[in-house]
Amino acid sequence: MNATDPSRLEATGISKSYGAVKALTDVDITLKPGEVMALLGENGAGKSTIVKIISGLISPDEGTIKIDGHEVELHTVSASQAAGVAVVHQEFSTVGTLSVAENLVLGQREASRWWAPRRLNTSARAILARVGLEDLDPSTPVEKLSVAEMQLVEIARVLAKDAKIVIFDEPTAALSDAEIERVLTVVRRLAAEGRSIIYVTHRLGEVFEIADQVVIFRNGRSQPPQKVSDLNVDKVITMMIGRELGDLYPQRAETLGEVVLETHDLKVAGTRGAVNLQLRRGEILGLTGQLGSGTTNIMQAIAGTEDVLAGTVELDGAKLDLSSRRRGIVSGVAYCSPDRKRDGVFRGVAILDNLSSPWVRRVSSFGVVNRRKESAEAVRDASHFAIDHTRMQTLVGNLSGGNQQKVAVGKWLGINPRVLLVEEPTRGVDVGARAEIYAQLRHLCESGVSVIVSSSDTHEVLGLSDTVATFYRGRQTVIKPAGEWTEPDLVREVMHREEAFA
Amino acid sequence: MTTIQGSTIGFQDRAGYRRTMNGIRNSTLPILIVLVFIVASISVPQFFTFETVRAILLATSITGIMAAGMTALTLSGNLFSLGVTASVVLSGVLYLRTANATGSIFLGALVAILAALVLGLGQGFIVGLGLNPVVVTLGAGAVIYGSTAMITGGEVVAAGSRDAGRFATFAVAGIPLPVLMLVAFTAVAWFLTERTTIGRDVHLVGWNKDTARNSGISFMATTIWAFLIFSVGIGIAAVLQVSQTLQVQADNFPEITMNVVAAVLIGGTAVTGGDGSPIKSVIGALFIATTTQIMVLAGVEQGMRYFVLGVVVVVLVITLHLLRRAGSR
Repeated sequence: MNATDPSRLEATGISKSYGAVKALTDVDITLKPGEVMALLGENGAGKSTIVKIISGLISPDEGTIKIDGHEVELHTVSASQAAGVAVVHQEFSTVGTLSVAENLVLGQREASRWWAPRRLNTSARAILARVGLEDLDPSTPVEKLSVAEMQLVEIARVLAKDAKIVIFDEPTAALSDAEIERVLTVVRRLAAEGRSIIYVTHRLGEVFEIADQVVIFRNGRSQPPQKVSDLNVDKVITMMIGRELGDLYPQRAETLGEVVLETHDLKVAGTRGAVNLQLRRGEILGLTGQLGSGTTNIMQAIAGTEDVLAGTVELDGAKLDLSSRRRGIVSGVAYCSPDRKRDGVFRGVAILDNLSSPWVRRVSSFGVVNRRKESAEAVRDASHFAIDHTRMQTLVGNLSGGNQQKVAVGKWLGINPRVLLVEEPTRGVDVGARAEIYAQLRHLCESGVSVIVSSSDTHEVLGLSDTVATFYRGRQTVIKPAGEWTEPDLVREVMHREEAFA
Repeated sequence: MTTIQGSTIGFQDRAGYRRTMNGIRNSTLPILIVLVFIVASISVPQFFTFETVRAILLATSITGIMAAGMTALTLSGNLFSLGVTASVVLSGVLYLRTANATGSIFLGALVAILAALVLGLGQGFIVGLGLNPVVVTLGAGAVIYGSTAMITGGEVVAAGSRDAGRFATFAVAGIPLPVLMLVAFTAVAWFLTERTTIGRDVHLVGWNKDTARNSGISFMATTIWAFLIFSVGIGIAAVLQVSQTLQVQADNFPEITMNVVAAVLIGGTAVTGGDGSPIKSVIGALFIATTTQIMVLAGVEQGMRYFVLGVVVVVLVITLHLLRRAGSR
């Protein structure tokens, strides 16, 4: 490849804001034919925003995109497809009940209007062979496939479109090593055919296997591209983090009290090893791992909403009943889900009723809600959590992400929790509200509550917690005080040693 | 996925807009009813008489009681029961048979309501397990209808004496008992759904089942409660209905289910659950009864009546839906 090679894709000065939040600032990306570019960065660094812009899902506020030297407007998905861009999504966009062959022609502009299963299956076989699925019957419904096969069909769909630029958005997040190898082989083959590849991933090992160059995103800005041959894992991690733990996080606890909650060889559906954790009074224990590491399952098991296969959890020396959320609440276990919109808050309901939802029975007599008592307690909790208590009748769905999260956490104050479990405490929350939420969690700790936080954001876990436990593919790996971790260590542990050192 | 464009409407303006839209939505039906009354008083000569108003209120009472009860079900996110008719007929049969056998209409009413409660408990339990409420109630309706037909041998069950009709004819200060029952039951249903922990759970489960579970609210218990509230309404309505007709047969009252569902819908309770009120559903029932009565007085044929009512219901439901969407943006 020499310098006079025309660029396949040239994006310059791309910026994008959501309200007051700048998602991307002045991002530049250049991609040559046959080149594989890895996009790296922490959650919220801007990787997925640039992918959405190139695939036509959202429009940039500023900047230009050129494909093969011509300026293009990618304002819709079909415009982006017509320009030769195809995306392999992390979430599957296949239709489960349709056959593999039918899914392959789905959404294709030039697909024939006639539904001819036999012809469809013949052309499907040829495409499937290219992703290593030559043994798969094209008439199998997609919902019968394994996750890896679905991902490969997803890639096959892209091949069927004959795209010039193929974007992979974390294609291996849910796959095992052997399955990942199949995906990587296909990526190499696509690049060898002269297609340009943008590969978004959290797994550093893959980057060194397939990428030609790396672009690292940090706080919505792209760093200048680096040749993979000039990099190693430590350099990449330093570039990804790029900052010290700042004032975002409150002071850690000076002394920790007695053990409040303890798991004994806990085995939970969806994880593989036994989990042994100790949570002391006034402690924030951070659990971290990638998607599929099992932290979610463990949190939900302690909350009482995930199946426990073996082992026990002790709270204040007594066995904790893990059979339902209700029992957990009665014992003083509060739980905030990772996706507040889905199962953390009631969006159509006022702040007041949201806050009182776990403890409304406590302010009721003979089943009748004492509204004065309810309101007084809710107002107190709201002011505790810096929620505007003059707007108690505002619907939670109309609040900002940060304020919604405060409601999702604040509603548990009223059960006088012994233990607070919080998953992804600041997902979709802007920086200002983040600091507030961290301060509130620490404040709760000082008032005697013990907190377990699980987060895929290593920076957050390290900054916030007193003790950090790492998880990898369903197994508990390392647990030690936060002071004994460095962030590169933690990132490497979460991505896992073998893979990172590969 | 939709993109969020930088909006130029500020929060205050947006809140005002939402309030306006919700205001329009909440007042649509009362305004319509008043309009219908005014138009009818002018164009239908004998409309605004004591007799007509009494007839409208009587017709409203039975549908209204059931609609107020069904609102609890709809609020809990469990859509509707499509087995209303079957339960009403079975309860009605039990009322007449018990009253005939024992000579006590109160005992008869008690048996009728208890039967409705047992049927509701069973259906509530099955729906609480996570089965689709429409399918469950439709199936239960068929089973109940079949049982009634077997019990009665397909024969008409008639009242042994005119005493059995006392619940329909009794009046306080000229106001018939069914109308009083409507007011009383609606007040109770309103209190239960708005002021009690059960009602709070019903609303929250309806808004978001998953959040409710994470907040320690039992879907099973809440669903059963909603079915029980609804079933009391069915039991009372069945007694009042049969007290009017003084006889009942397995295939009677086919229009009841649709009328009750329509009353809840045009009352403005959200099909998806969470948002609504028994009072709104009663107003919906009042609207249906008024429109029907006017058409009867104006000599409109039955087929045409059903047609007009159907069109009105569909148009209203679509309008309310659009207003709701505008109000929550």
